[in-house]
Amino acid sequence: MIRYDILICGIGGQGAISLGTILKLAAIHEGLTVVGAERRGGAQREGVVTSNVRYRGLEKGEPFDERKMAVSGLIPAAGADMMISMEPLEALRHVQYLNKNSIVIINDFPLIPVSVRIGDSDYPDREEIYSRIRQVTRHVHIHNIEELSKSRFNSLKQVNTLSLGIAYAVGNMPISEESLLATVKNQFPDFEKNRAAFELGMETGRSAGR
Amino acid sequence: MNPLALNESGKTILAMGNDAIVRGGLEAGLGYFSTYPGTPASEIGEGFAALKKQFPHIHTEFSVNEHVAAHGAQGASWANIRSMVTMKHVGMNVASEVLHFAAYSGVKAGFVVVIGSDPGATSSTSEQDDRWYSLHTHLPILEPATIQEAKDFTIRAFELSEQYNLPVILNAPSKLCHNIGSLTLGELPREVQEKGHFERNPTRYINLFGGSVANHRRALESIDVLEKDIPSLSLNKVVPASGKTGFISSSINYLYLMEALALLDILDAPVLKIGISYPLNVKEISEFAEGLDDIIVVEELEGFLEYQIKQLLYDTEIRTPVKGKQIFPRYGELDVDIIAGALSRELGKPLPEAVGTARDSAETLTRDIPPRQGSFCTGCPHRATLYSIVKATDRKVIFAGDIGCYTLSCLPPFSAFDWVTCMNCGVGIAQGMLQKIEGEKVIAYVGDSTFFHSGIPNVINAVQQNADLVLVILDNKWVAMTGHQPSPTTNVSIHGEKLDPVDIKGLLKSIGVKYIRSIDPFNIKGSIAAVRDALRQEGGVRVIIAEQECALQYARRIKINPPEYKVYYQIEEGRCQLCNECYVDLGCPAIRKDYNETGHFYYIEEAACLRCGSCRDLCPNGAIVRTEIKLHPGTARETEKVS
Repeated sequence: MIRYDILICGIGGQGAISLGTILKLAAIHEGLTVVGAERRGGAQREGVVTSNVRYRGLEKGEPFDERKMAVSGLIPAAGADMMISMEPLEALRHVQYLNKNSIVIINDFPLIPVSVRIGDSDYPDREEIYSRIRQVTRHVHIHNIEELSKSRFNSLKQVNTLSLGIAYAVGNMPISEESLLATVKNQFPDFEKNRAAFELGMETGRSAGR
Repeated sequence: MNPLALNESGKTILAMGNDAIVRGGLEAGLGYFSTYPGTPASEIGEGFAALKKQFPHIHTEFSVNEHVAAHGAQGASWANIRSMVTMKHVGMNVASEVLHFAAYSGVKAGFVVVIGSDPGATSSTSEQDDRWYSLHTHLPILEPATIQEAKDFTIRAFELSEQYNLPVILNAPSKLCHNIGSLTLGELPREVQEKGHFERNPTRYINLFGGSVANHRRALESIDVLEKDIPSLSLNKVVPASGKTGFISSSINYLYLMEALALLDILDAPVLKIGISYPLNVKEISEFAEGLDDIIVVEELEGFLEYQIKQLLYDTEIRTPVKGKQIFPRYGELDVDIIAGALSRELGKPLPEAVGTARDSAETLTRDIPPRQGSFCTGCPHRATLYSIVKATDRKVIFAGDIGCYTLSCLPPFSAFDWVTCMNCGVGIAQGMLQKIEGEKVIAYVGDSTFFHSGIPNVINAVQQNADLVLVILDNKWVAMTGHQPSPTTNVSIHGEKLDPVDIKGLLKSIGVKYIRSIDPFNIKGSIAAVRDALRQEGGVRVIIAEQECALQYARRIKINPPEYKVYYQIEEGRCQLCNECYVDLGCPAIRKDYNETGHFYYIEEAACLRCGSCRDLCPNGAIVRTEIKLHPGTARETEKVS
């Protein structure tokens, strides 16, 4: 049976929802079943946003079994095969979904919560955040994707495809590169730029990062 | 091409639960749709609105409130056109008067009521379980579990409605409404019925004297017939197994349950999945219960299935113990983890080690991390209005809160909100309270859409009772919180077409409000003065209309029709005294903090700023400068944002 669960987290407006949509459309292109609920930021900004992406499929000749195939919209504790976090603190906030084999991709670009802004709390030291996540899984890939997008494309528009490339390079998604790129082509304008970003993401993923 | 409009039966698309309900309506040949927007059901209305071109025969409206929306759908049904009304769970309270008559008078064409429920109240002020209404409205309830069922059950709901002459409720919790995944399409109807016809039916439609009693009897008889037919309807299903502990569940809780059973390695449990949760069929339940040692009912909130199952079994010989709310919480959302944890304790089955470790270590690892609460968007006029209200009052007034984006003013940095319950709780509660308190000033808030929803009777009452309050109408021209559906004050569509909005001022004048002032929220100094002036006046209802379009809609429009010039706001480091007025008290997310050799400084992130100018107006040190650059025609572009 094919099963692969990806949790995407971030802050309203960062693109977590769009990234989830790309990963889901790619699954449909691939012929897999996909579900996953979204927690949206509502109309307000700066709230926590998550997107669950849950791939399911039968191996060739495998019979359908309701008990195995019933799948809800939410990934359970320790259930994420992969986490893509658009923000360091949000990766830690969702650490309960990780297990020792989970692959984690973190955009090393902190966004300061209102509670920190008004002086009610402090933003934790980033090294501390990462070391706590590493207590659960050793497979943590940290890159400043915003910076990468700005420096290579002079824009923040490529953050999503860069993330996608990194995730694809470091994970074992049951999706072909062709399905992902076909989806990116359908969903985003300027395919050449996005293909370049995807490839740069793959290259970045294979490099060490932080 | 909108995938929901595809006429390709058998094709699989990516759809949200709400989209699946829209598609179900299309496949069922619906001709009338009404709603009052509310999360989690809002996207259903947006879905139909977006399909206007492909399906011009469908009347789609964002009604003034749920009561009106439900009546409208009833009217269309009586004109022999299949109709749907959708609302969030609390909307049912408003529509309930209409729906208490709906079973009495029956339907002509199928009439489906979709309720988006919100266990966990992630976007609501209550998590009430609307299913209990059916014990007295006698409206059947279907509960889809998956995105596919959301579509298929919608079609079934129309069929059942016509077959049993009752409106049918489709209940979808937020985690189904916002579940996004595979949906396989069915056939669209070959022909559509553009217009219907009203046929008099005084026996059913006139609920007077003995007529209403006779209709009550007919409604109960219809439900009785439906109850007997349930086993043949294939809405419920049994996943058979030989174990002696059986499970009954419905909706998304069924999926959580199946995942929890797999986690706990319980593979021999018989499960009855309920698709129609009102009425229940006594024979079906007792056949499932017979021979079992225990039945565990898995459902969110207060135990609607459990209540009915226990009641039904009481009239039979079967005495299998039924447990539900002894094991699971009666409040909040359920998920796989809560169900697996509760079953692990109840059945003495250990959780897999990884799950236990993850939950324990997560608690330690996240113990001291800062919370992240929502905030007004960058450029939001409400942020500016709230800043001015706080400055004008120093929070020394009672703040009568209400429902809308401005409810966020209960959070820091504003914290200017003393209560929020239901729609129009602001003026409504304040005007009564004011009859019995002395020496205190009250500011009540209401948004444009909330005002039209049910605020007008409250304001009339307040005027008639001479309540001494300042009402601030935060008119941002859209139902913004639920995703920008039009409100009665929307004066221009997103594409620039002029609309014909209701004149709030004229309306207020005609109901006897003597003091009405408009303010531009971005004019901070003027707004502070206006709030102070309104508070100084003696007696009666004084209204301030804070008029400025929702920043998100404004940003979308200038993307479509770019202006000829571009404005920049910048903080001059030399002049900035780090007083925190803009960074903390206004709290605009576009104003950022950074550090250099001498300490910290503030700057405006150009890519995030929406150029509202509030910060410049409120800066006591004149440290924020405005620069305007004329652009060559056709090259103006809105600043890039990550989307």
